[in-house]
Amino acid sequence: MDLGLRDKNVLITGATAGIGRRIANLFADEGANVAICSRTPESVTRAVKEISLMADGRIVGKACNIKNKEEYEAWIEEMAEELGGVDIFIPNVSAGGGNDSEKNWWRNFEYDILGTVRGVEAVLPHMEARGGGAITMLSSTAAVETFAEPQPYNAMKAALINYAKNLSQTHGPKNIRVNSVAPGPIFFDGGAWDMIKTSNPKFFEITERTHALGRLGTPEEVANCIVFLSSPAASWVSGVNLVVDGGYTKRVQL
Amino acid sequence: MKVRRQQTIQRTDKPVPGGTPVVKAPNPKLGNKLIPADRYTSEAYMRLEWEKMWSKVWLLGCREEDIPEVGDHFVTEIGRESILLVRQKDGSVKAFYNVCLHRGNKLVHSQEKPVEATVAGTFKCRYHDWEYGQDGRFVDIPDLETFPQGAPKCGGLIERPCDVWGSFVWFSLNPDVEPLQDYLGVIPEHLDPYHFERMVLTKTLTVEWDCNWKASVDAFNESYHVQGTHPQLLYYLDDLDIQIDCYDKHNRYLIAFGVLSPRVLAPGEIPPPIKVVMKGAGMDPADYEGSVHDIRHDVQKHKRANGPAQGKDYSDLNDDQLTDDYHYMIFPNITMNVHADDMMMFRQRPHPDDPNKMYFDYYFYELPDHEFDPETYRRPVHKNYKNGEISLGLVINQDAYNLPFVQAGMNSSAFEGLWIGDQELRIRHFHDTIEAYIKGKANKPQKRTATKAKSPAKKRS
Repeated sequence: MDLGLRDKNVLITGATAGIGRRIANLFADEGANVAICSRTPESVTRAVKEISLMADGRIVGKACNIKNKEEYEAWIEEMAEELGGVDIFIPNVSAGGGNDSEKNWWRNFEYDILGTVRGVEAVLPHMEARGGGAITMLSSTAAVETFAEPQPYNAMKAALINYAKNLSQTHGPKNIRVNSVAPGPIFFDGGAWDMIKTSNPKFFEITERTHALGRLGTPEEVANCIVFLSSPAASWVSGVNLVVDGGYTKRVQL
Repeated sequence: MKVRRQQTIQRTDKPVPGGTPVVKAPNPKLGNKLIPADRYTSEAYMRLEWEKMWSKVWLLGCREEDIPEVGDHFVTEIGRESILLVRQKDGSVKAFYNVCLHRGNKLVHSQEKPVEATVAGTFKCRYHDWEYGQDGRFVDIPDLETFPQGAPKCGGLIERPCDVWGSFVWFSLNPDVEPLQDYLGVIPEHLDPYHFERMVLTKTLTVEWDCNWKASVDAFNESYHVQGTHPQLLYYLDDLDIQIDCYDKHNRYLIAFGVLSPRVLAPGEIPPPIKVVMKGAGMDPADYEGSVHDIRHDVQKHKRANGPAQGKDYSDLNDDQLTDDYHYMIFPNITMNVHADDMMMFRQRPHPDDPNKMYFDYYFYELPDHEFDPETYRRPVHKNYKNGEISLGLVINQDAYNLPFVQAGMNSSAFEGLWIGDQELRIRHFHDTIEAYIKGKANKPQKRTATKAKSPAKKRS
């Protein structure tokens, strides 16, 4: 199956490590032009160089703290200009979990919610100009089931599913599809579950066994779903939240 | 994935005048021989330790504040001996064998807890009312006329050297022991800047562990076991770039806290144990925008700036001491995790007659902040437990879990001795010091040879 991604222009926020990086790798591998960012210029330069090795298309990037509205919007405009438009947008940056103070609510609101909303607002005109596009948001199984503790991460990730669904209705007529992906626990070196595996191996093993497939997911497995949903191959899919969790959650999704 | 990042701990270049010395001491050349396992298991070696070491050194008894007023006293035990520590009229403290000279009854039936002076201010044996003063001298022997030989010629309780340092009361069973300050060597210079006298005891208990007392000391004197025993601490401290310093009898190591181990990759979020460090300093991890690698220095800066407002005086401590663990061993049996805000101290005592058992005394002292109210503070009541009866917190529980298995293994005929590496230099230094006592100036080395010869024989059987 050809995903139809050759020459498509993709913007991904925070794509120098973790799941975001695997998403960028896969888009590049599929022949898309990819723009990335992260907070530090060195990591952007390194990631652009590394991703370029596997790319047919153009790989560009620039440091950007998406928390700053103007800096973020400028990054989108600059990347759109470099690539010559925007077809696909993946707002991937998250403030992560944590419940240390009220400040966590602000952080998750700024990074997870506004980091998505401001990006969407900025890319929509570019997509309209090209006659359509696809936005795929990063939610979490922590949005659809209780997880860990009452914390802003869970609540904000749930809000994104709602936001994506509403966007899909409003912008469907302009041929813009909007979906979300809700990954379960994902293991990669240097990730949160790497830390848990080291510091609390018992809990890690219990979590592995909780998965119907008996292990944690890989970032590549999440990237596969995001890239598919964002590609023309998924042209008839809009407004869904795709749970990608190897059978970690137990609810029946109707 | 096996990780070993390149990481060098940046240690302070701003020593505090009169503060804890930070310069690395040259490593003693102690070779790389096996440390014979039977030092941990043999009754003969245990007796040797008692005769040549325990009865010769200075030992920690209680806290000065345990016995503030004249006649206040505290009973502590070491081996088969019970020692009575009594506050004197001149403010000094005296140490006596806690035994009535009449028929050998223990004079004060108490253990490890502060006792206020009696109404009469004397100590009366419960058996026949022999009575002693606070200075240990006889006050009354009922029906003295029925003892044709008179009163014991010593005139009262048998006294031993006693002195104070660092808010603690120390005693020795050796009447000819060197002065405490000479014995402690560099320790007061190193630890006085922490002002232990300002700290309050918030936890005290004793657990009987099924291991030799040295196995416990060893468990706290090296960081090599962090990866195996305390993997969660890899997200809390650097277990590889450690400064080890050996000084005469005592030793220390300096471990950076609030950092990642080189054995793990930096996660995308602040590890929970490091958040605890930040919160302890009054910082909000959710408000922290810097790199995880900068947290240790930022916590130091924050504490330096905000300590006084919290009622904490860090002025005699260097920046590293505001985050790091300065871990000291005061020979032979005190190991202390010394921090700016608290001090976790372990006293390891041998069992009276079983080399496979010991008493683990746990004390936690905290530096009060401005919210501390001395009026409502109550000293915690000391309790005794067997292993497994009480949690000592995750980290010490993990050590406590290991030790009975370590002891059992050391009793195996297949185990000749401890295979010690550079990261465990303090263990070698500790044994070297014990051996120096055992060989002693006046002592004959043949017992040592006998111990050595026993090992291969045991192996063949």
